[in-house]
Amino acid sequence: MTDPSVPTPVTSIPHATESVSVPQVRFRGEGGKLLLLLPPERETATPTAAWTDLWQQLKQRLNAAERFWQANTPVHLIARDRLLDARQLQAIADALTDAQLQLKRVHTTRRQTAVAAATAGFSVEQQPPIVHLNQEESGQALAEPLYIETTVRSGVEIRHPGTVIVLGDVNPGSSIVADGDVLVWGALRGVAQAGAAGNSRCLILALRMEPTQIRIADFVARAPQTPPDQYWPEVAYVTGDGIRIAKASDFSREALLE
Amino acid sequence: MSRIIVVTSGKGGVGKTTTTANLGMALAQRGHKVAVVDADFGLRNLDLLLGLENRIVYTAVEVLAGECRLDQALVRDKRQPNLALLPAAQNRTKDAVTPDQMKRLVAALTKAFHYILIDCPAGIEMGFQNAIASAREAIIVTTPEVAAVRDADRVVGLLEANDVKRMYLIINRLRPAMVEQDMMMSVKDVQDILAIPLLGVVPDDERVIVSTNRGEPLVLAENPSSAATAFSNIVRRLEGEKVPFMDLSAPPDDFFSRIRRFFQGHKP
Repeated sequence: MTDPSVPTPVTSIPHATESVSVPQVRFRGEGGKLLLLLPPERETATPTAAWTDLWQQLKQRLNAAERFWQANTPVHLIARDRLLDARQLQAIADALTDAQLQLKRVHTTRRQTAVAAATAGFSVEQQPPIVHLNQEESGQALAEPLYIETTVRSGVEIRHPGTVIVLGDVNPGSSIVADGDVLVWGALRGVAQAGAAGNSRCLILALRMEPTQIRIADFVARAPQTPPDQYWPEVAYVTGDGIRIAKASDFSREALLE
Repeated sequence: MSRIIVVTSGKGGVGKTTTTANLGMALAQRGHKVAVVDADFGLRNLDLLLGLENRIVYTAVEVLAGECRLDQALVRDKRQPNLALLPAAQNRTKDAVTPDQMKRLVAALTKAFHYILIDCPAGIEMGFQNAIASAREAIIVTTPEVAAVRDADRVVGLLEANDVKRMYLIINRLRPAMVEQDMMMSVKDVQDILAIPLLGVVPDDERVIVSTNRGEPLVLAENPSSAATAFSNIVRRLEGEKVPFMDLSAPPDDFFSRIRRFFQGHKP
């Protein structure tokens, strides 16, 4: 490792797992169909704000990944304990249709949502509330990587219980929080956090590393005060003295074992 | 089919209303029927910039309440018959209108106008939601400042999430001399972040302030200022014409700066 620039360390942060435990809207492929997983209802948000949030996340995810789905892939909506009315269900179905996906079935634990879905003409599966769909995710294995092709713009926060790959720029004012690695094929200008659940062996890679702040596990660093004359693809990783950044071409996994 | 364009920025004071007034007037001069809609309920300004304040009888709120017809609320421009203003109510707040109501209003306007320009309020709350509800295209106005660009970036993200896919960028109040000295973000710096097609760059110009206070859009002036020319070019680009971008490099004011530039080499 020849040229590790030293990012400014910042005092350690409170443990960051909480941010990841607030899940977001997520797609997952499963046997030829796509599951659209909605995060469980939170008590803090008002219903309108919760819906606006949910809607924006859904649109972002759809816009960022539409080329990966074949036309007319059936989608099962896993609504969990979300309260959705007929209008909202129709909005979700329409958004999916625009992305050439088909909403086929709604899974819910709420009676009202089940009734609304049935009235709107979707197949419904109502599970008893005890069957917690979160449980399948509470294992130790990371979720499959989230691959998004978009510019992550100011105000957007992407959280994912696995590795996040962004094909595009991550702009200032946005943040990416991943339990695994963060790979940015573009300029990283926002906040990136890898190993948010505590794994300090996670990495942050970017073609152009000019982040507002980077975090790996419990370590935090700012980019150096003076920007470099030239940008290279770089890797941020944790050593005994905190976060370091190295040119990608000089970086090897062995460095972590020193 | 008429074009419905929202003029928005996120941050306040970057020139949304000035842009709306000038683009509206320039489009009308080119023979289009144009309606400019003030969506800034409670803090309306567009009427002032167009010099039409004293002609307002009814506003959009009265139209929605059914107290008057839409054509009664529309204020025809005194100089340019192709231009009409739909004023906002000054005595209400943003919550007086819903996105659905805005959609209905704009849909009614599309029957009589080719262009509908919606002047969006600052912020991303209810007023913003109302303004973008019916828009099919958006003009993002920003100044070359970090805060303005940050907010513009946020707004671009929100527009994408609301299915407004066609967006254009206007960089307002650029000071070429400061850019050359590396004291201001350049057009390229702004474009690097926002990554949407550039519609035009409007140089900082004192005559904008004069025109604003007089209620006379810049594009009406006899001998056009550089900002007025920029707005005319923007309108032509908006209509699909290929217009080369103005050379905004600062005039070489003295011998020494010319020498300095010579030795620095040609900067892109």
